Amino acid sequence: MSDAPTTAARLARNPHVGFVVFGALLMLLPVLASSGLLMTSTLMTLGFTLIYAIVAMGLNLLLGYSGLISLGTAGFMGLGAYLAAYVQDDLGLGFWVAVLAALVIPTVIGVLVGVVSLRVRSIYLAIATLTISEILLKTFEQAEWFTHGTAGKQSRYPVLFGVQADRAVVFLIIVVALVLVMMLTHNIVHGQLGRALHAMRASEVAAQAMGVNVLKYKLFAFAVATMYAGLAGALYLFFLKSSYPSTWNLFLSLNVVAMVVVGGLRSIYGTVVGAFVIFAVPELVLKRLPVIGDVSGLPYIFSGVLIIVAIMFFPQGLRGLWDIGRGLLARRRRPAEPVETVRDEVGVR
Amino acid sequence: MGLLQPLLRSLETGSVYALAALGIILVWRTSRVMHFAQGSMGMFSGTAVAFVLNRTGAPLWASVLVGAVVAIFLGFAVDVAVIRRLRRATTVGKEIVTLGLIMVFLGLAPILFGTEPMLLPKAIPDGAITIGDAYLSYNGLLNICLGVAIAATLFVVLQKTKIGLAIRATASDDSTARLMGIPTRSVTMLAWATAGVLGMLAAVMIAPATTVTPTFMNTVQVTALFACVLGGFQTFYGPVLGAYLIAVAGNYLQLYVSSVWGEQLLYLLILLFLLVRPNGLVGKTYLKKV
Amino acid sequence: MSDVLRVEGLSISFGGLKALDDLSFSVADTEVFGLIGPNGAGKTTVFNCITQFYRPDAGAVWFAPGAERLDRAGHHGSDAIDLVGEPVHRVIRYGLVRTFQNVEIIPELSVLDNVLIGGHVDFKASMLSQMLRLPGARKEEAQYREKAREALSFLSIDHLADQIAGGQPYGVRKRLEMARTLMAEPRLIILDEPAAGLNESETEQLADTIRQIRDRFGCSVLLVEHDMGLVMNVCDRICAISFGKFLALGTPEEIQRDVRVHEAYLGERDDD
Repeated sequence: MSDAPTTAARLARNPHVGFVVFGALLMLLPVLASSGLLMTSTLMTLGFTLIYAIVAMGLNLLLGYSGLISLGTAGFMGLGAYLAAYVQDDLGLGFWVAVLAALVIPTVIGVLVGVVSLRVRSIYLAIATLTISEILLKTFEQAEWFTHGTAGKQSRYPVLFGVQADRAVVFLIIVVALVLVMMLTHNIVHGQLGRALHAMRASEVAAQAMGVNVLKYKLFAFAVATMYAGLAGALYLFFLKSSYPSTWNLFLSLNVVAMVVVGGLRSIYGTVVGAFVIFAVPELVLKRLPVIGDVSGLPYIFSGVLIIVAIMFFPQGLRGLWDIGRGLLARRRRPAEPVETVRDEVGVR
Repeated sequence: MGLLQPLLRSLETGSVYALAALGIILVWRTSRVMHFAQGSMGMFSGTAVAFVLNRTGAPLWASVLVGAVVAIFLGFAVDVAVIRRLRRATTVGKEIVTLGLIMVFLGLAPILFGTEPMLLPKAIPDGAITIGDAYLSYNGLLNICLGVAIAATLFVVLQKTKIGLAIRATASDDSTARLMGIPTRSVTMLAWATAGVLGMLAAVMIAPATTVTPTFMNTVQVTALFACVLGGFQTFYGPVLGAYLIAVAGNYLQLYVSSVWGEQLLYLLILLFLLVRPNGLVGKTYLKKV
Repeated sequence: MSDVLRVEGLSISFGGLKALDDLSFSVADTEVFGLIGPNGAGKTTVFNCITQFYRPDAGAVWFAPGAERLDRAGHHGSDAIDLVGEPVHRVIRYGLVRTFQNVEIIPELSVLDNVLIGGHVDFKASMLSQMLRLPGARKEEAQYREKAREALSFLSIDHLADQIAGGQPYGVRKRLEMARTLMAEPRLIILDEPAAGLNESETEQLADTIRQIRDRFGCSVLLVEHDMGLVMNVCDRICAISFGKFLALGTPEEIQRDVRVHEAYLGERDDD
């Protein structure tokens, strides 16, 4: 603390700068696509990966800090998508109101579900959200006036500041949203909120004695997770320009769980990598493999096995592997100092 | 239509939910794992039944036997290869693993049994009994009897036999049970295998009403979980009670309130019910040790 | 001298077994008060009933948090409130804070961050302003960081502030837990077996620390302890209980001479 660090060094240490640089790099992708270096389909896949990274960031907060599982991710994400389409196209209220609706309404519903289910036992949230997701899915199929039913809701690229967006612009919007979500998540976990979440994770009993209202913080984590899901849903709609009920099924929710577990609990960059592994790798790699690439169930097995393997052998996910790798390097450089890897397990007891 | 008709029909679906819920509660009480994959494991072995029946032309009872072998094997395999090795993981970790299992079975089923939807016939193709102005197919009667008989047998086994005592001891406190010389490992293995068979039976019972696809057990899974929530996780009979109640209430709601939204309405009602009785119908409040 | 804590007729039973039976005692202002008893006497149950982890079947836990805190909690006029029925997480707001028998810290966070948890209820910045890192939230954070450093330096572990708590030796963790209680500006600190796992010289230091905390912060200390040396050394008064029932109350000398206390402990010696 005594030596005054140079501005450059201070900037380099500021994680927010890191997020912005990360975002700037991602923004090069549409440029690569327009110059023909990247296939459009690959750009689409990467765009969806970033959208799933946003959802997974929310679930990571929930799972990583409060040990709660939500199986309603797909439902809330779908609700965000349909709300965005409804507000933008049917009501004609434009991009910003659409995003606002996709942020607020799923969050309100989520909080109501949380209030009812979190009082009893943590696992009830998983069951309640599973049910809400089923109810939402049914709504997507039945409420024709809102979702256009199984025929699917068609939408268009949004108009921003009077300018008609195209695919590349929506990609940039996704990147901006992701960077904002990363910053917000970072702020949440570093500070009084994050300490309360950490305390709750380490021991609910001790946290309560320290004045942490456990129910309130669980609700908070769940509300943030739902809000991110709503946002991601809206982005999904703007990127694909359509939404079908069948998209928002249980397996999307499970895939988001897989992204969190595989990427590493409580890791911001890990979540992005997790989204890439679970969503982009099957799309970009598995489906292009000869013979087994055509097998329809393969991506499911891929995600499922990764979840199980991660929990059994790498409770810290890819982030944990990264830490271990870095630790080994550090040990090689300074053999005297033992490297301590904290091996903790998923969630709270 | 009289009031009796929907009741009879809901007793049939209630039996399906009850069997699935029994599997979930057996696993919960012995392994402390919320078994989210009960439905998909039932789907998998149920699909195996349909596969054997459709491919070899074997009679239904023989196919069900094969399905039972598959289910028992899967139950053992999951417990031995995965769940047992998770001793150090937390409850949440174990639950996430069962979520992973859903995806594995969902992916495996079409690879092994083909992507074509299959049909499973009723055990008794036709014939019905009439009670007043209501009727019940022989197959429905069989399903109701099967559900009640299996649940009753399980309770007798749990209450009166040595194995049942071992299961109950493991359920109440597995480390104490281990100290008392109860082979808790065999108990959990047995619980997972039994859950598998119950799931398979539920699948075979519900299949004639639908087609055998990877997702055909989803509703059963959700309803069975809710049966446990409604009945409470502290007893073995609570979830069974919950299953029949849900089936009956759901059926009447669909008939008299909304054919489309009846089921969803019921789910919401159960969530609200939790506000009044958080531990379910027959749940006891328990004290957290500090 | 007025009382900061008055336990009246506390009873609780678990599955028909009476763990506490009509227990009453009170802790005076700036007093170090010891609660002793043979194993299974119900000492920890008393703690859990006071801090509302358990809801007693009968009885009251009167706590006098001081006029300012009472006003803030909306209890005007009275000088004490009954804690029974308060949510667990609200208890610390009245200045009643505890440590745990098996030291509950957050291993992944720094020592300083762990201490900051103790000030949780005092943070006024809204969730939103914290999420957006608004200047108000940042200023408040800096201010409490300073306070946490002071608490650490009071317990002479301020040089470890930025280290990860999980890697610290047991003695440091115990001090860390004490420092955390100081963040709450306590009226009463409940220490659950603070000497467990400490060696003789550390235990002596602990006695000094307890007195220093009392003198510096003007608070009372309620102590459950097995180490009789520490209890006799540091306590102003001691209450002995056995099988959930009141046994004796008095100064350390009186307790040491008390026949009932001797009998209760002698009965235990065989199976201890």
